[in-house]
Amino acid sequence: MKITILDGAGSDGGTLAALHASLVAELDARGWEHRSFILREMDVKPCRGCFGCWVQTPGMCIVDDASREVSRAIVQSDLLIYLTPVTFGGYSYELKKVLDRSICNILPFFKMVKGEIHHVPRYERYPRLLGVGTLPQPDAESERIFTTLIERNAINMHCPAHAAGVVFDGEGPEQVERKLHTLLTAVEVT
Amino acid sequence: MQKKALLLVGSARRPRSTSESLGSHVLERLKTQGFDTEVILIHRAHRSEEQHAAMLDAANHADVVVLAFPLYVDCLPALVTKTLEQLATSRRAGTPKAGQRLLAIVNCGFPETSQNETALAICHQFAREARFEWAGGLAMGAGAAIDGLPLEERGGMVRHVIAALDAAAAALAAGTPVPQETVALMGRPLMPSWTYSLFGGIGWRMQARRHGTQKRLYDRPFAE
Ligand SMILES: Cc1cc2nc3c(=O)[nH]c(=O)nc-3n(C[C@H](O)[C@H](O)[C@H](O)COP(=O)(O)O)c2cc1C
Repeated sequence: MKITILDGAGSDGGTLAALHASLVAELDARGWEHRSFILREMDVKPCRGCFGCWVQTPGMCIVDDASREVSRAIVQSDLLIYLTPVTFGGYSYELKKVLDRSICNILPFFKMVKGEIHHVPRYERYPRLLGVGTLPQPDAESERIFTTLIERNAINMHCPAHAAGVVFDGEGPEQVERKLHTLLTAVEVT
Repeated sequence: MQKKALLLVGSARRPRSTSESLGSHVLERLKTQGFDTEVILIHRAHRSEEQHAAMLDAANHADVVVLAFPLYVDCLPALVTKTLEQLATSRRAGTPKAGQRLLAIVNCGFPETSQNETALAICHQFAREARFEWAGGLAMGAGAAIDGLPLEERGGMVRHVIAALDAAAAALAAGTPVPQETVALMGRPLMPSWTYSLFGGIGWRMQARRHGTQKRLYDRPFAE
């Protein structure tokens, strides 16, 4: 099992830093190979929306920066894990800057998926997707949006399975471990 | 005092974007209703600290903020997210001006309007957290059919879009929420989904030919 972790924490890591550490411990215990990208430390420019990655340098963003390495790691993983502060229900800037730059991994052409139009896959296989967000305290609407967003991304990016969960400030290590255990089991490749 | 309306454009596409076409239509209408209007391109404002500070200041002082952006990976583009994060932080630090209203306008590349729902939910949640009054959210699919042109140049296909944006501007000027009928009108399909998909496919191949990449469109550079 090859795993890519995209850590979208801002400078005030807090709960997310502890979550990352617990996640790594859990993956090590399962003997799963993992690689983390600490996105705030990576100089990745925001997408310009030029679609050059589809028509100019097909499969690769025309801008040669660290986002290429992230897009490559995504395609080559069995499981992709997003770690992010839940931001108005969605992702943080740090996470989103690399996600926008990864549309090179699909084709521009359209096909029907679950009754809606989506893009045709570029690759034969894509990773499963696990989104784990952090929030200061429970917030039903933010959690609903976050779960829906992970589900929408899984459809858009052809992920064969997905799961999402939220960890709150002040939750103890055992609680976090239990949540991670359940989420990882939900996306485990059997 | 004259009321202020600010358009924040969340697309980096140049020289033109569909977000700007839609947003500036609303802004023009507000101008005729006596609003003092300003347009800021978010990606440009992030180029210098001065422009960036001016953007946050304008957003913190406008009576009406119109946020127009393209759907990126089922939600808001990275720089739009960053701007909202910063705006929320600046507003948490003080007491935001009372009664500021936010209208979000999102367009996406797929034909179905419903694909924008998560993005609008995020904007609504932002309004709650950053203490803006939520005037409403308008969404449309098939954004490429407008392709950044002024709406008046897109003919009958966008007649309902113009009507919806006019109604939204009237609601903003009157201080009332954007009516549900307006939201539904905006979201009506521009054309049958199969026509849009067919022309889309042809369009990508034409662009590839221009770049001499038509035989490499299906490349898999990251397979190994
Ligand atoms: C990085 C990126 C991600 C995108 N993701 C989506 C998406 O998830 N769903 C969709 O329908 N369109 C998606 N699009 C297409 C844009 O929303 C569409 O082209 C839109 O009309 C662009 O509007 P603009 O001219 O205002 O930039 C994406 C485009 C880019 C560049």
